[in-house]
Amino acid sequence: MKRKISLFLCFMMVFTMFTACSNEQGTSTSEAGSDEDVIKIGVFEPLTGENGGGGLQELDGIEYANKMYPEVLGKKIQLVVVDNKSDKGEGTTSVSRLIEKDKVAAIIGSYGSGVSIAAGDIIKNAKIPAMGASCTNPMVTQGNEYYFRACFIDPFQGKVMANYALEKGAKTAAVIMQNGDDYSIGLGNFFIKSFKELTGDENSIIDVSEFQVNDTDFNSILTNIKAKNPDVIFAPSSLTTAPLIISQARDLGIKSLIMGGDTWENPSVIDVAGSDAEGIFISTFFDESNPATEEARSFIEGYREELGGKEPNIPAVAALGYDAYLLIRDAIERAGSTNGDAIKDALNSTKDFEGVTGIINFTEEGDADKNIAVIKTVENGKFKYIDTVEIK
Amino acid sequence: MITNKKNTLFRKLNILTVIIAIILLYLIDSDIVGNQYIKRILNLCAIYTIVSVSMNLVNGFTGLFSLGQAGFMAIGAYTVAIFTVPVELRESIFYVVPQNPVLSQIQIPFFPALLIGGLLAALVAILIGMPVLRLKSDYLAIATLGFSEIIRIIFTNIKTITNGALGINRIPAIPSLELDNFNISFGPMWSIFGIAALSVLLISLLVNSSYGRAFKAIREDDIAAQAMGISPFKHKVMSFAIGAFFAGIGGGLLASLLGTVDPKQFYFTMTYNFLLIIVLGGMGSISGTVIASFIVTAGLELLRFFDEPLTLFGVNIPIFRAGLRMVIYSILLMVLVLFFRNGLLGQKELSWNAIIGWFKNKMPSHKKSEGGAL
Repeated sequence: MKRKISLFLCFMMVFTMFTACSNEQGTSTSEAGSDEDVIKIGVFEPLTGENGGGGLQELDGIEYANKMYPEVLGKKIQLVVVDNKSDKGEGTTSVSRLIEKDKVAAIIGSYGSGVSIAAGDIIKNAKIPAMGASCTNPMVTQGNEYYFRACFIDPFQGKVMANYALEKGAKTAAVIMQNGDDYSIGLGNFFIKSFKELTGDENSIIDVSEFQVNDTDFNSILTNIKAKNPDVIFAPSSLTTAPLIISQARDLGIKSLIMGGDTWENPSVIDVAGSDAEGIFISTFFDESNPATEEARSFIEGYREELGGKEPNIPAVAALGYDAYLLIRDAIERAGSTNGDAIKDALNSTKDFEGVTGIINFTEEGDADKNIAVIKTVENGKFKYIDTVEIK
Repeated sequence: MITNKKNTLFRKLNILTVIIAIILLYLIDSDIVGNQYIKRILNLCAIYTIVSVSMNLVNGFTGLFSLGQAGFMAIGAYTVAIFTVPVELRESIFYVVPQNPVLSQIQIPFFPALLIGGLLAALVAILIGMPVLRLKSDYLAIATLGFSEIIRIIFTNIKTITNGALGINRIPAIPSLELDNFNISFGPMWSIFGIAALSVLLISLLVNSSYGRAFKAIREDDIAAQAMGISPFKHKVMSFAIGAFFAGIGGGLLASLLGTVDPKQFYFTMTYNFLLIIVLGGMGSISGTVIASFIVTAGLELLRFFDEPLTLFGVNIPIFRAGLRMVIYSILLMVLVLFFRNGLLGQKELSWNAIIGWFKNKMPSHKKSEGGAL
């Protein structure tokens, strides 16, 4: 009996292998025929694994964009979605798959800069243009002419917050970062750099501390900060730690301004921190109540309906995913073909593209040359738009 | 007489298999057959083979339940990353905290760096092994798991050497070996498969040597082994260090293949991948581990069509969506473990005798089951 079952399993394995192969051939032959009416765009996002949540939000935005603008050059755009499991090894194989098996014209992704960096070389060698939606690490596009991105990068966001802190009259600052988190460390360090430059004072950052993942008690860090009494505390951190830092700081009687990054823009921060959250400042990619462009207006209305109350706010990564798709589509349209180099050149010559998250041009590195960021605060238990900051 | 004939036949079959493998390798490496996608999967399979076989040496043959493989891989991977990245790129990679001025001037070629990585991993294994290997079973597992987390946390915090959480990018690809005289170049695939074959060969030679028999004796009963004059401690440390050496080599190859490393990659969950492979292949079977490495790594890719939307008779089947692949994968694993309690090969090795025997057994048993009431 056991042998029979094992034999059966072996046959199944061989059988699935053959079907997979024949499947491949099947699609490749049918592709030659259907190539005329379908343009494939690959999407590689973490749909499972540690970044699964963010990846799904981003994918929703991309799929919504595909629904709104399903065609280019008179052909239908087909999204080919692959999961990269938030894993670098899987990330590289999934991108090779998109390029070799699905023969996509362009690629969108991925949430999480590490996976994008790992896939960068394959994209470069295959000469297939790629558009990152929310990967903010500068290394993603550096030295890779085929990788572009729709979001601003960490140095920019750090600069924005440093600028805004200065505008608020701050002369000294303390920074709290999450040890081991590339986003938090990157953003925190760029804030430190910009703040020092702007104040012209090497000693303007009076305290830098790091906490460990899953820490819930920040009293030792905050007591230390309280003694030094900075004008502002900048604490880029994840959603779960943000409200804890805020409440514990206020409980200790710290009166300094508290600032955070784009991850803080979530109602759960206000829910947990309660009235302590009043008066915190965050920077983010776009503002629902004050659309930057015409495209943004229609996106916000349409996407709210699409979400149907599933989420209270439109996640910024969904807006960026939407923009990434539109940028690629726009470039294919202008290139007039699906040739990788033609699309790349078209992307390079993108001029004043009206996206949801602002007017987009590309720098030489292929980063979105956005000069605006939105500053929000919390007032009466709600996020309130304060200002759109422009950086030269 | 008959066994002699059989042996020569098997030897011929062995040579034939090796030749076929080399031809296949050549065809795939020079892009005559397959594509980059297949190449990448095969390379990952080979690297996972190195690490899994090394883990099997420790867990399967010596009977030490060690979960530190991710930590040793991290050591190898970071050594390759730190030393092979071109000096002129260092500044742009270490953009937050500059690299240690001494290290930032040192650049060594890939193969020496890989070797240093392996040796460093082995050295750390000896240092860790001395105190830790006095523990047994579950306690050893916890201690080694803790060790691999400590390595990861150290790498997160020594920013002037490892760039902390930001990781090291732009690691050069594995260089091709050029033979100018013959105008032949061997791509990275040759190096990866060559090193994989060499590690499998070395470990199987080791396992069949007197040391290997000592390892197995310790696995079965270390008091009895001690009574036979084997020093359990010495052999345990040895097996642990050799396992760490190959894990470090595997980590170095992985770093170069992916072109980037960061500490998050070496979470303890990574070790579970290899644990899965050796349990599936059979604790104490090298050939089983090799087969399982290929099945697990390539299998995940084969299952990708479950992630794609499927339309049958014009109806879009809703469960065919991203993520289904992992569900199917888990179910397959459960089925495999349920029916193969000792893994695919148990403690046996794959040999021509076994294959022929398996088929011979098949035939009569088939007839029997057809005739008998089942």
